[in-house]
Amino acid sequence: MHPALSVIIFTVSSGAGLGLIVLAALFGVFQIGGGLTPNESFWAGLLGLLLTTVGLLASTFHLANPKNAWRAFSRFRSSWLSREGVFAVLLYPFALFYFVLAWQEAAPNWLLACLGLLTALLALATVFSTGMIYACLRTMRQWNTSLVPTNYILMGLALGAVILTTVLTITRGPALEAATTLTLMVLIGAGLGKVIYYFWIGEPRGPTINTATGFTRGAVRLFESGQSSGNFLNKEFGFQPSASLVGKLRLAVYGLGFVIPIVLVALLIANEGGFAFAFIAVLSAFAGIGIERWLFFAEARHVVNLFYGQQHT
Amino acid sequence: MSTLPQFENHARQDKKYTTCYMCACRCGIEVTLEDNQVRFIRGNRNHPVNQGVLCAKGNAGIMKQISPAKLRNPMRRKPGTERGAGEFEEVSWDEALDLLTERLRTIRATDPKKLAFFTGRDQMQALTGLWAQQFGTINWSAHGGFCSVNMAAAGLYMTGQSFWEFGDPDWDRTKYFMLWGVAEDHASNPIKIGIEKLKRRGAKFVSINPVRTGYQAVADEWIPIKPGTDGMLALSMAHVLISRELFDWEFLVRYTNAPFLVVQSPGQQGDGLILRNEEGKPLVWDNEDEEFLDGLQFGISPSLFGEYRTADGRSVKTVMTLMAEKYLDPRYAPEAAAKVCGVPAETIERLALEMAHVAFRETIEVDCEWTDWEGRKHDKFIGRPVSMHAMRGISAHSNGFQSCRALHLLQILLGTIDCPGGHRAKAPFPRHTPPPIKPARDTAPNTPLASPPLGFPMAPEDLVIDAEGRPLRIDKAYSWEAPIANHGLMHMVITNAVNGDPYPIDTLIFFMANMAWNSTMNSRDVQDMLRAKGEDGEYKIPFLVVVDAFHSETVNFADLVLPDTTYLERFDAISMLDRPISEPDSPCDSIRQPVLEPDRNVRPWQEVMVDMAGRLGFPAFVDEAGNPKFTGYTDFIARWEKAPGIGFLAGWRGENGESHMRGAPNPDQWQKYIENQCFFQYHLPEHMRFYRFANRDYLDWAKEVGFNASNEPIVMKLYSEVLQKFRLAGQGLYDGPQPADPTDKKRLVDYCDPLPDWYLPLEESRIDADEYAFHAVNQRPMHMYHSWDSQNAWLRQITAQNFLYMNRKRAEEMGIEDLSWVWVESHNGRIRVQVKHMEGCQRDTVWTWNAIGKQAGAWGLDADAPEARRGFLMNHLISELLPPADGERRLTNSDPITGQAAWYDLKVKISPAAPGEVGSWPEFPAMRGLPGTAESPAELRYHTHEAVNLRRSFKDVLTRK
Amino acid sequence: MRLGLVIDLDTCVGCHACAVACKQWNSSGTTGPLTDYDPYGAEPSGVWFNRIRNFEVGDYPNNKTVNFPMSCMHCETAECVTVCPTGASYKREEDGIVLVDQDKCMGCNYCAWACPYGARELDESSGTMKKCTLCVDRIYDEELPKEERKPACVLTCPTHARFFGDLDDPDTEVSRLVRERGGFQSMPELGYNPTNHYLPPRPTRPVEQERRPQISLQEKIKEWMGRVVEK
Ligand SMILES: Nc1nc2c(c(=O)[nH]1)N[C@H]1C(S)=C(S)[C@@H](COP(=O)(O)OP(=O)(O)OC[C@H]3O[C@@H](n4cnc5c(=O)[nH]c(N)nc54)[C@H](O)[C@@H]3O)O[C@H]1N2
Ligand SMILES: Nc1nc2c(c(=O)[nH]1)N[C@H]1C(S)=C(S)[C@@H](COP(=O)(O)OP(=O)(O)OC[C@H]3O[C@@H](n4cnc5c(=O)[nH]c(N)nc54)[C@H](O)[C@@H]3O)O[C@H]1N2
Ligand code: SF4
Ligand code: SF4
Ligand code: SF4
Ligand code: SF4
Ligand code: SF4
Ligand SMILES: [Mo]
Repeated sequence: MHPALSVIIFTVSSGAGLGLIVLAALFGVFQIGGGLTPNESFWAGLLGLLLTTVGLLASTFHLANPKNAWRAFSRFRSSWLSREGVFAVLLYPFALFYFVLAWQEAAPNWLLACLGLLTALLALATVFSTGMIYACLRTMRQWNTSLVPTNYILMGLALGAVILTTVLTITRGPALEAATTLTLMVLIGAGLGKVIYYFWIGEPRGPTINTATGFTRGAVRLFESGQSSGNFLNKEFGFQPSASLVGKLRLAVYGLGFVIPIVLVALLIANEGGFAFAFIAVLSAFAGIGIERWLFFAEARHVVNLFYGQQHT
Repeated sequence: MSTLPQFENHARQDKKYTTCYMCACRCGIEVTLEDNQVRFIRGNRNHPVNQGVLCAKGNAGIMKQISPAKLRNPMRRKPGTERGAGEFEEVSWDEALDLLTERLRTIRATDPKKLAFFTGRDQMQALTGLWAQQFGTINWSAHGGFCSVNMAAAGLYMTGQSFWEFGDPDWDRTKYFMLWGVAEDHASNPIKIGIEKLKRRGAKFVSINPVRTGYQAVADEWIPIKPGTDGMLALSMAHVLISRELFDWEFLVRYTNAPFLVVQSPGQQGDGLILRNEEGKPLVWDNEDEEFLDGLQFGISPSLFGEYRTADGRSVKTVMTLMAEKYLDPRYAPEAAAKVCGVPAETIERLALEMAHVAFRETIEVDCEWTDWEGRKHDKFIGRPVSMHAMRGISAHSNGFQSCRALHLLQILLGTIDCPGGHRAKAPFPRHTPPPIKPARDTAPNTPLASPPLGFPMAPEDLVIDAEGRPLRIDKAYSWEAPIANHGLMHMVITNAVNGDPYPIDTLIFFMANMAWNSTMNSRDVQDMLRAKGEDGEYKIPFLVVVDAFHSETVNFADLVLPDTTYLERFDAISMLDRPISEPDSPCDSIRQPVLEPDRNVRPWQEVMVDMAGRLGFPAFVDEAGNPKFTGYTDFIARWEKAPGIGFLAGWRGENGESHMRGAPNPDQWQKYIENQCFFQYHLPEHMRFYRFANRDYLDWAKEVGFNASNEPIVMKLYSEVLQKFRLAGQGLYDGPQPADPTDKKRLVDYCDPLPDWYLPLEESRIDADEYAFHAVNQRPMHMYHSWDSQNAWLRQITAQNFLYMNRKRAEEMGIEDLSWVWVESHNGRIRVQVKHMEGCQRDTVWTWNAIGKQAGAWGLDADAPEARRGFLMNHLISELLPPADGERRLTNSDPITGQAAWYDLKVKISPAAPGEVGSWPEFPAMRGLPGTAESPAELRYHTHEAVNLRRSFKDVLTRK
Repeated sequence: MRLGLVIDLDTCVGCHACAVACKQWNSSGTTGPLTDYDPYGAEPSGVWFNRIRNFEVGDYPNNKTVNFPMSCMHCETAECVTVCPTGASYKREEDGIVLVDQDKCMGCNYCAWACPYGARELDESSGTMKKCTLCVDRIYDEELPKEERKPACVLTCPTHARFFGDLDDPDTEVSRLVRERGGFQSMPELGYNPTNHYLPPRPTRPVEQERRPQISLQEKIKEWMGRVVEK
C-alpha cells in the first residue's frame, strides 16, 4: 500500500488524543492515584481534543472530493469509516461538557461521573473504529486481524499516557506516580502487541496467483498487464518497501516507540529527570509510532497486486 | 428507489452505417452521432464480414478521429530548407495540384516511367492501378510485395485460390484446423469468430508458431517451430501421407495435374516440361486404352503413377510419380525434418496421421445436387473437413513461396480444397492457375499501358526486362532477380531510385505508406537515402509526394504533402475488382460514406486522383473533346466500366438497380448501397458453393459476371511448368530469354523447383548461424494497426512500449535478466532494447510487437513518449539487401521467386547492455510540429453528453442494512 | 435477479475489444467521461472499467497462455459497498448491479481498498470513484433493439467469449454454461461470492491417427501403376 501522510497523521494524532481523553476521564471519574486537579483534567482534555481534531482534519486531506465529506456519517450501519466519524463527532459535546464542568467543579459528582464514563467510552469506540477501518478489509491479510484494533487502542493509550505523565510532571499533581506506573504498563503492552503482530503477518497466507486465476496446477506467471503505464491501482496499491528497509524501520519502531520511552518513564518512577525526560519520551514515542504507522500501510499487500505480477500477498 | 436510469436522449442522436477502416478487415459499422461528434461505433450485425462484432481498433475510432496528428492543410517543404528537416509551409489545394499536375504532365509527355507511384495500406488498388496504367507508368504497385505476395502467388499458380484474404477455412464444418504463422491477419474479426465456432463444435485446433499468444493461446495444441522451416514440416507430413498411401486418388486424378506426364530428358531442352499434343493439350496415360490421351478431357482413366516412353522415345513420368520419388526421399522423413524444424519426429507423424484420419474417416457430406464441369450430376458434396490458414509466418521468409506451396500440396493430397470443411475460396476466386493477365512491359509518352502494371508471368518471355535482360521496373519486379513478383517490390523502390539502378526517377508518390519508418527495411539508412543528393546538389529522388492523413515519419520527408480525410469523412468503394471482402458463400462488396464533416482543409485522395486524371487527360477519364468525363470520385465509380456491365460496385446495377453483379451503370447506385447499410451481398445458390474449380454452373456464372475469362475447369498445379521454364532458363536450356549473369542462373536453378521444396532462408545461408543464434520476428498486436494507433489515446494506453520477448530459460542460461536492456545485432546493424522473459517462445526465437517504436515528435506524441524512448523497431536490423557475396551484385533480401520481402529471415545475436545503458537506441532527432497544429492536450475527457447519473435515494442510504 | 457476466477462457484471445468498447460506451453513459491522463505523453493512463491481462500457465514447452479479462464482478458480498461511508456505493436490490452514485462519492478510495478485483478506479479529475455499471443504461433501454440491450463489451467480443445474464435463474444461458463447463470464481476464498464466473479451457478432443503400413517406394509405385481411376 502507498502510505499517505494524511492518513498517518490522522491515525497517530487522533489515536494519541483519544487515548489521552480516555485516561484523563478515567483518572477523574475513578480518582485514580488521587485523581486529577481541575486544571490538570482541563489541560489534558483540551490537549486530547486538540490532537484528535488535528487527526480528523488531516484525514480529510486525502479525499478527492471533500465537498461530500459530510455524507460520510450516513452509512453508520455498515461502514467502520462512517462509525469512526460518528463516534468522533458524538465525542466532542460530551468531552467538552465533562472537562469544562470538571474544571469549574460546577456539577454534581454523579453527573460528572456519567459524562466522564461516556466520554471515555466514546473515545475508546472511536479508536476501536479506526482500527476496524483497516481490520475489516479481507483484501489485505496484514490488516485483516483483531490484532489491528488491539494495537490501535494500546498505542493510542500509550501515547495518551506519556502525554498525561508529561502534563503531571509540570503540575506535580498527586496522580503522577499512578500515571507513570500505568504508562509503563501500557507502553510494555503496546510493545508486546506489536511484536506479536509482526510475527503474525510474517507467515504467508491468503490468496495466490493460482486462486486468483483459477489455475491451481503449475506455475502461473503474468505475461502482460494490458497497460503500458501505471494506473490508479498501481499508484494506490503498488508501493512495496524493501525487506531491508522494513527490518531497519521495525527496529526504529521498537527503539523509539517503546524501549526509549519505557526507559525514560522507568527513570521517572525512580524520581529521575522529571519534565525533561517525560517530554523526550513523548517525542520519541510519537516518532516511533509514526514510523510504525508508515510501516503499517507500507507492509500491507493488496491482493490486486496478484494481477500485476506478484505470486502471493 | 428509482430502479431505471434516465437513459441518454436518442432523439438528439443520428445513426449512420459505413465501413470501418481502422484496419484492412473492413467491417461494417453503425456510427451513432451526437452534435456532429461520434457518440458510439458499433459492429453492424447484418454485415457479412464482422456479423456485429468489433475489434479493439474499431472501438477506438473516436480517438483516431480526434487525433492531434491529423494533417490540416496541403503543405510544401519550405523553400531553402533541407528535406527531412520537417519545415513546411501551408499551400492552397490549387497551388498544390497545379504544382503536381504540371510536373506530372511533363513526365507523362517524356518518359512516364519516371513517375513511381506506390501505395501502402490502401484497399483501392484497382483505382490506383488503373490510374497508373492510364498515366502510362509501369512503376506502380501496392504493398503486397513486402506484405504477403508469397501467399497470393503460391495459391494462384497452384490452386486458383489462396490464403491471405482470398479464402477461408470452412469455419462451420471443419473438424481439424491448422494455423500456420498467423498472429492476427487481415480477417481480424472473421478469424476470431471462426475460431470460436470451431472450438464450440469441438474441432481440433493446432497452431504452428514459435510464439504462443493470441490465437495460439486458445489452440488445442501448440507447435513451437523454428522460424523459416515450415516448408520442411509440411513436406515431411507429405512424406508420411504418401508413404502410407493416404491421399485422395479421385481428387488428384480429376482436379489436379498429378496424372500429367512430365518429360524426363535431363540436360536437354524441354526437360521437365509437360508432355503435350499438337494443340498443346497436356497428355496423360490412359490405363484402359493403354495410350496417351488429352488429360483435360473426361471419361478417361489416367494412371496416377507410372513411367512411359513416347513414340519419339522420350521417357515421361506422371507428376505423381515424381512427387513420390521426391518426397519419399529420407531427406523429408520425420526424423530428418525434426532436426530442421525443432519439432519431434513423432509429432510430425502424428499430426499428419490425425489429419488423414479426419479427412478420410470423418468425411462429411452436404446433400445437394450439382453438376461437375464434365456435366456429370452428383447428389452430394463430399467434404474432407481438414482446413488450414497461413500468413506471414510463412510468407515473410525468402523460402515463403515454396513453403506456402508445400501447404497447398498437403491440402491437395487430402482433397480439402473448396470442399465442405476444407479451405474455401472467396469471390472472385477461384481463378485459373494463374489468371491470364500479363504484366505491362512497354511504356510510351502520353500513352496508357496496354495491360495492367501487374500480372502473372507464365514464362521468361513475360518478364519485364529489356533486350539485354535489364530490369525495366524501378523495383526490378519481373526481372531475373524476382521473376514472378506479382505485387512488385515496394521495399526496393527507394534504394533502387537513389542508386539510379536500373535508372533514376523524377517523382515518387507514396500513398498511405510509412516508407521512412516501420514499413521499410533498414529504416535509418532509408531516411539517409531520402536526404541523399548527387554531385549536382539535387536530391537523388528529385520530388517526393506523400499522401497521408496523419503526421507520420514519412510525411516529414515530403516535398509536397497532400492531406487525406479520415475513414469517417469520405466515400470509398471496396470493390470485387480489388481485394475482396467476399465470403465463401457470397460475393460481397461495400462502400464508405462520410458520416462527419471534415473540420480541416483536406480532400479524399480518390477525389484528387480523379481530378488529376481529368486535368492530365487520361483517355478513360476524358471525353472525345478531352474534357473530364466524371464530376468526381462517386460519379466515376458509378459510371466507369471495366467491361460492358462490369464496374467497381457489383450491387444494384442497371438503370434502376434491378441487376446485380453485371449490368448497366446505375446513377443511384451509391444511394442503394447506403440504403442497404453500405454493403452488397450476393448469395450463391447452394449448388454453386463447393468444388467451384470444377463446378459447371459456377464456372459458367463466374465467366458471365467477369470473374474469369473462360469457363474452362481450373486445374490445380502440383507441378509448376512455369517454374520449370525459369529453371530451364537458368540451366541455359530454354529457347527464349535466358539470364546472362551466373548469379541469376544459379538462383533460378536452385529455387525454381517445379515441385514444392524447402531451402534454408537466404540470409541464414550467408551469415554465421552460430554467431547470430536467434531468429527475430514480429507479431501484430491485435489492438493496434501498424504505425497508426500510437496516435490513439486509448490504444496506446494498452501498448506504448514494446519489449524484446525471449524464452525465459534460454535467457536465464545467458544471464539475461527480465526487463534488462540488451544489444541486439544483425549483419546490418544493432539496436538497444529492453528484454522481457516469457514461456511461450521457441528457444531460438526472439520477437516483438510490430511498429510500436516511433520517431520522437511524430504522431502528435510528446518527444518523450515511450514509443520513442523505450519502444523500438526491428526494421533497423533488417536489410533490404542480402549480405554481400563476392563475385555477385547486391541482391534484394526477398524471396528469389516472388520478391516478397524476407522480414522474418532476420537472425541476431544478443548481449547484455553495459550498466547504465538504458533507453532504446538508435535515437532519432525529434520531428518538428506542423504549421497550424496545436499542442496535444494534457488530459482528455471525451464525451458527447453529460453523463446521466444513476441516483441512490438518501432514504435508501440511511435505511439499507 | 443476479445479473453478471460469464467469460470463456477457452475462446478469449485477449484482443482488448471488450475493454475499448467499454471505454467507448461509458465515455458518455452513466459515469462518463472516463478521464485520460497524459494521453499523448510519457505516461499515458486513464480510467478503465475492464482490463485484460495475459498469464502463462506451466513451463515451456508445456506452457499455455491464458487471457484474463477483469471487470467488476458484482459480488454478492460486495464489501466495497459495506465499507462505503457515504452510501455512494450501493448494490441494487432488484438485479444485484453494484453502482457508484457520482453525486454522493467523496473520493476516499476506501471501496477500492475493499475490492479484491481491482474493479474500481478513481477519476482524479472528477474526484469520484468509477466502475463497471454492467451497462445498466443499455440493458434496460427499451429504445434500443432487443438484441442490443446487452453490455457493450458482450456485444463486441469477436470470439463470443462474454455472456451476460441472470445467474440466479438456473435456466439462463449463463447459469447453464457455469453448470456444464465448470465455471469458477476468482479468489473464492475471500468470500465475496462474485457473480461473474470464468469458464476454464475445454479439454482437447482426442483425434485418432490413420494407421496404414509403410512399404518401400519401388513396391508402391509398382502396386500403384495401372490403378484405374475414372476421370
Ligand atoms: N491488429 C492488426 N491487424 C493487422 C495488422 C496490424 O498491424 N494490426 N496488419 C495487417 C497486415 S498488413 C498484415 S500483412 C497481416 C499480417 O498478419 P499475420 O500473418 O498474423 O502477421 P504477423 O502479425 O506478422 O504474424 C506472423 C506470425 O507468424 C509467426 N511466425 C514468424 N515466423 C514464423 C515461421 O517461420 N513459422 C511459423 N509457423 N510462424 C512464424 C509469428 O510468431 C506471428 O505469430 O495482418 C493484418 N492485420
Ligand atoms: N519489422 C517489420 N516491418 C514491417 C512488417 C513486419 O511484420 N515487421 N510488416 C510489413 C507489412 S506486411 C506491411 S503491410 C507494412 C505496413 O506498412 P504501411 O502500409 O506503411 O502501413 P502503416 O505503417 O500503417 O502506414 C500507413 C500510412 O497510412 C496512413 N494513413 C492511415 N489512414 C489513412 C487514410 O485514411 N488516408 C491516407 N492517405 N493515409 C492514411 C498512416 O498515417 C501511415 O502513415 O509494414 C511492413 N513492415
Ligand atoms: S477488424 Fe477491427 S479495425 Fe479492422 S475493420 Fe474490423 S473493426 Fe475495424
Ligand atoms: S473481446 Fe472477447 S476475446 Fe477479446 S479480450 Fe475481451 S473477452 Fe477476450
Ligand atoms: S468486484 Fe469489487 S467493486 Fe465489484 S462488487 Fe466485487 S468488490 Fe465491489
Ligand atoms: S470513494 Fe466514494 S464510493 Fe468509494 S468508498 Fe469513498 S465515498 Fe464511497
Ligand atoms: S458491462 Fe459495460 S461497463 Fe461493465 S465492463 Fe462491460 S462494457 Fe464495461
Ligand atoms: Mo501487410
